Amino acid sequence: MDSEDDMHDANSVDDDYYSGDTAADYCSDDDCGDYEFMDHDFEDPHDIVAKHQQKNYVVLNEADICQRQEDDITTVSTVLSIPRVAASILLCHYHWSVSNVHEAWFADEDRIRKTVGLLERPVQFSIAKLLTCGICFESYPLDRISTAACGHPFCSTCWKSYMRTSIDGGPGCLMLRCPDPSCSAAVGQDMISRLASDDDKGKYARYLLRSYIEDNRKTKWCPAPGCEYAVEFVVGGGGYDVACSCSYGFCWNCTEEAHRPVDCSTVAKWIMKNSAESENMNWILANSKPCPKCKRPIEKNQGCMHMTCTPPCKFEFCWLCLGAWTDHGERTGGFYACNRYEAAKQEGAYDETERRREMAKNSLERYTHYYERWATNQSSRQKALADLHQMQNVHLCNSLSLSLSLSLSLSPQLEKLSDRQSQPESQLKFIIEAWLQIVECRRVLKWTYAYGYYLSEDEHAKRQFFEYLQGEAEAGLERLHQCAEKDLQNYLTAEPPPNDFNDFRTKLAGLTSVTRNYFENLVRALENGLSDVDTQGGCSKTAASSKGGAGGKGKSGRGKAASKTGGPNDDSQRQIANLFLFASPLGWLLLQKL
Amino acid sequence: MSGGIARGRLAEERKAWRKNHPHGFVAKPESLPDGSVNLMIWQCTIPGKAATDWDGGYYPLTIHFTEDYPSKPPKCKFPPGFFHPNVYPSGTVCLSILNEDSGWRPAITVKQILVGIQDLLDQPNPADPAQTEGYHLFIQDPVEYKRRVRQQAKLYPPLV
Repeated sequence: MDSEDDMHDANSVDDDYYSGDTAADYCSDDDCGDYEFMDHDFEDPHDIVAKHQQKNYVVLNEADICQRQEDDITTVSTVLSIPRVAASILLCHYHWSVSNVHEAWFADEDRIRKTVGLLERPVQFSIAKLLTCGICFESYPLDRISTAACGHPFCSTCWKSYMRTSIDGGPGCLMLRCPDPSCSAAVGQDMISRLASDDDKGKYARYLLRSYIEDNRKTKWCPAPGCEYAVEFVVGGGGYDVACSCSYGFCWNCTEEAHRPVDCSTVAKWIMKNSAESENMNWILANSKPCPKCKRPIEKNQGCMHMTCTPPCKFEFCWLCLGAWTDHGERTGGFYACNRYEAAKQEGAYDETERRREMAKNSLERYTHYYERWATNQSSRQKALADLHQMQNVHLCNSLSLSLSLSLSLSPQLEKLSDRQSQPESQLKFIIEAWLQIVECRRVLKWTYAYGYYLSEDEHAKRQFFEYLQGEAEAGLERLHQCAEKDLQNYLTAEPPPNDFNDFRTKLAGLTSVTRNYFENLVRALENGLSDVDTQGGCSKTAASSKGGAGGKGKSGRGKAASKTGGPNDDSQRQIANLFLFASPLGWLLLQKL
Repeated sequence: MSGGIARGRLAEERKAWRKNHPHGFVAKPESLPDGSVNLMIWQCTIPGKAATDWDGGYYPLTIHFTEDYPSKPPKCKFPPGFFHPNVYPSGTVCLSILNEDSGWRPAITVKQILVGIQDLLDQPNPADPAQTEGYHLFIQDPVEYKRRVRQQAKLYPPLV
């Protein structure tokens, strides 16, 4: 697939090509999700891309996993000169770390044998003709009796049901011991294979395989539903984003969907927030009041202040003062104007609750703003992904080496295009590249809204810089998406086919490249914590004036408005060139100084 | 599914018990009004250990076996409200060897269960409290705890 890198790097695996981090410093603690990025100067993006393409992870299918597991068992078995079953039990105990097994074993073999339940000298069996099973207490001839290395005799039936109970109980069955209460002898896969039912043998083997991935610190299952691949990750080699062969991109550190450039803790907070009832609570707080009698929250959905709680309470009260409606009338300034409330408000009695309600309402609106944009980009990405797959006409589970699959089987759509425009199929790759770019950008853009939500309101300069970059990126993406979605249709459906296909190619490829630049800038800026703002002297001042300056160029407020600017846009080469100038932070600063 | 192994095993347990059992202990399957025997419920008595605060008490315990026995442990119950840090208010005993997920092994016998519970009486496990009162007194007020244990011992005098 490397040989296909002739045009751009965009045909590399999804989520893999925004790579701002030149020297990512990870915490030494592997479980720590936060990572710091060192400051760096602007570099040629292609350098960075090249560096990042050294993948620091391997996708494993079931055969790979079995192979590795077998290999590890062989290693331990050979080095320690113990049977494979014993090696497997040991590895299981040490979370499949070969080096830990070796270390522990050579430090204190006796102790390890005791803990794990590997007896050194198997107990010699009694030579009696009949033995009593320790579970059912029946006597059996020797051929119906089995024992672990300890020699405690149990009949085949009891072994079978003992194993079934343990295997039904979950992966703990991998640490199965002799049924005798005082005995710690391990029961390994060899005995399971000999004595358990076929069904249970299968389940046991499954648990053993899963254990190799789940208990191992270096591997994780791909979290995509139904996906059976696992990913082995080498910590320290670069970003946490990995792309599984099933096409799902996820963060290896937190196993959420890939979320570069936003860090894991922000993502966790955001996801928690989206699912938390707290927002519902905020809404209730902001828009409802508790019934003064039964305390159930009540939303006021009609104009009048006369509230009647729902049965069985049926309490009638005034929405403003929450007093009983029967207390209202001439005395309170008429039924529908509550003087009691007005008076109390003047005394300040209602201020606190009112203020709280107001605040809740504001915070809710702010959250809704970011959530809507996050969610819209999410669904937009899903749509783009579907479009991309339609273009590719490949099975989801095939590898993502798109250029390859493209040359193998063109989708009917591209075939049609190829016919109509008399273009060789290989010349249509730019369309796939555009869609890949769109999918990736939607993902990044989506997460920048989570980032934006948590960006402190007080850091004006950073916020403005962020919104500027986000706005530019978003506007670029909208143009690209529009072009790939709508303009392309003309070439597929219009009669007679337009003959300016080469112009279209130039435009779409140009937009793809411009948009990629915007997003690279955005990703890089977020990954170094928007620190470019700090390093520029007097920057906050210029930033403060940025609105006016940018506004003059018709760019202000894009961060918010851009998601709606899906309208037609006759951008030309000139405009693209123009945008190039402002695509970098440097460009942004230049803009401020104009 | 264990194909009725529960009753067979319990019959064997009964035989083994009759042949030999620790002094002062009682364990026998429940007798039904019609004179038949229900092997799945055993009425037992556990004597308090000599030279402990539990000495002199003969504590009634009911063991409930299920059809899954001995794959799954039986449930052991003192009378409701029994005073002990590891006995639930319902009377159910909380003990590792009676826990399906930790200490239970199918080869554990009725005798081992009863002796295990006798040990537990005088050696509560503060890491696994099952009732508030017994636990708090055990932790905070050893004198009062002792008094309550002795008081309870008098509640359960020897049968016969």
